[in-house]
Amino acid sequence: MKSGHKVDMSVDFAGRRLANPAFTASGTCGYADELADFMDVNRLGGFITKSVTLRPRRGNPTPRIVETDAGMLNAIGLANVGLDCFLQDKLPVIAKLSVPVFVNVAGERIEEYVAVVARLAREKALAGFELNISCPNVAKGGISFGRDPEQVREITSAVRQAAGDKTLIVKLSPCVTDISVIARAAVEAGADALSLINTFTAMVIDIETRTPVLANRTGGLSGPAIKPIAVYLVNKVYQEVAREAGIPILGLGGIRTASDALEFIIAGASAVAVGTASFLEPDCAVRIIDGLEDYCVRHNVARLSDLVGSLTVKSS
Amino acid sequence: MKSEIPPGLFTATVTSNGRIRACFWTMSLEFTGAGAQAFARFRPGQFVQVDVSHLGLPDESLIAPELRDAAKRNILLRRPFSFADVTAGPDKTTAELLYCVLGPASVRLTTLRPGASLGLLGPLGHGFQAPPDKRLALLVVGGMGAPPIRSLAKLLRAEHPDTNVMAFVGAKTAQSLPLEGDFDNVPERIDFLVPAFAKFGIPSAVTTDDGSAGRRGFITERLAHWLDDQRDWSPEGTIIYACGPEAMLAATARLAAARRIDCQVSMERRMACGIGVCQSCAIECRVEGSDDTVYKLCCQDGPVFDAREVVFPEGFV
Repeated sequence: MKSGHKVDMSVDFAGRRLANPAFTASGTCGYADELADFMDVNRLGGFITKSVTLRPRRGNPTPRIVETDAGMLNAIGLANVGLDCFLQDKLPVIAKLSVPVFVNVAGERIEEYVAVVARLAREKALAGFELNISCPNVAKGGISFGRDPEQVREITSAVRQAAGDKTLIVKLSPCVTDISVIARAAVEAGADALSLINTFTAMVIDIETRTPVLANRTGGLSGPAIKPIAVYLVNKVYQEVAREAGIPILGLGGIRTASDALEFIIAGASAVAVGTASFLEPDCAVRIIDGLEDYCVRHNVARLSDLVGSLTVKSS
Repeated sequence: MKSEIPPGLFTATVTSNGRIRACFWTMSLEFTGAGAQAFARFRPGQFVQVDVSHLGLPDESLIAPELRDAAKRNILLRRPFSFADVTAGPDKTTAELLYCVLGPASVRLTTLRPGASLGLLGPLGHGFQAPPDKRLALLVVGGMGAPPIRSLAKLLRAEHPDTNVMAFVGAKTAQSLPLEGDFDNVPERIDFLVPAFAKFGIPSAVTTDDGSAGRRGFITERLAHWLDDQRDWSPEGTIIYACGPEAMLAATARLAAARRIDCQVSMERRMACGIGVCQSCAIECRVEGSDDTVYKLCCQDGPVFDAREVVFPEGFV
């Protein structure tokens, strides 16, 4: 294909045709309008909101973040406005967007997840949900749901019923013995898509005071440091669970450039999300769309979706 | 409330960059085009997020031995800075970035030479607000809190020429005063002239924790004594503007509250984005007419807050 020809950038994502594979990751781009000064959110393939819980949450004391080599730890503690405020203040803004918006839903008990999803499932402005069962920074709920396949099955199935015809993405933690076991449980319980990976539980110590830097003691490691592990886990889940089940993967973990995004796509991700890199470059996600298109032109790829899972491994 | 000017991603050109004294450096930046317009309306206390991720390290011989370990860590996030001075011209705006070399990001800033480019996100947050009815403005500086207060001194002189302004400058030692000048023989007299403030006709009082410059002690104690000695002043006609370590801000806030003086404090928190999405930079704030508190964001709701609003951690007050 010669340059100048239009590349088909669209991807299939759980029965929905997305204009391109670029998403924003939850907790890094607010509720959609915060980054309007920097990018046209409607150019994205999908938008995932900051977590919404049934009641407002203050979040953790500070320090909530610390930078590490090629990464950062965060322990925000799911600070968010809560369901009622989301409906009143954020949803009207989202309703004006053309980009498919997925609400990241978190909670301490299954009933809370179900209550949030059941209420939001009535809203035409929303494309679906991302189930956060992998947040490492809250005392109850969060990651504890995502470590036990039986709990993953139970919560996914309960939320699936409440979600009606909305797309349900389940976000997986890398802090498990075998991520495919968890992925399989989510898929069998009705997940339409899987997003991976969430952050790694980690700690930074202040050697002068000999105390943890974060007020929460531990936080979730994100950024370029975790990218190779994320690529590996995406490929593992793609090969062992998702491909056969026909379930798309939203890949994330340290993506900053189109080249990073391509590794995830080749590994098996149908779409990719930009998280930590948006803190550095608020327009990072839309710049990646341009970079992906350039790659397709350079490599004579007519349809970007042909690259999904295109990894070839030489047999030894 | 959104910031006064929509923030954007801009590139500035470095016109000079050099050491002032001790670990303190100052860099002059020049904005043209849209950047010149955006930063022409920069308010003292607002800040920028500087991208240092692409900068390399200086030769190891140029890195202070105690920083060599820390310097090896690479940089991911932008770093927040407040300008010490901004001057708007007809087709360009210049800004002075006063910084302290204390870690992997600032040590990289020292490598920038005239002509180099620096990427900035800004202007961000809310700066100091100067009410028109104040006859006396007291500037309180602790160590690296100096840059926004210097910028504010210039604004007060330009926009409120009838306001009496007095600077209270504190630091741990003479070596930790981020100001130009010879601080080895700072007298205890109240009218000592710190050049950065003297050029606007503003007298200064200096204290250091160890007495190596000015009077020994905390700057807030000096401010309290000075206020106690004043006659013919009204709390209603007075305002305090403070920037420095949080313990100093807490003491300043307590002093201001006790004397019913309006006070604005410029807060600092570890932050990733600077634009309200990462939620890292939470500041606990009082809710008016209630015992409740809420977390506000330093980057978006501040960094300058009304001192009455901020809940300082216990132990500070």
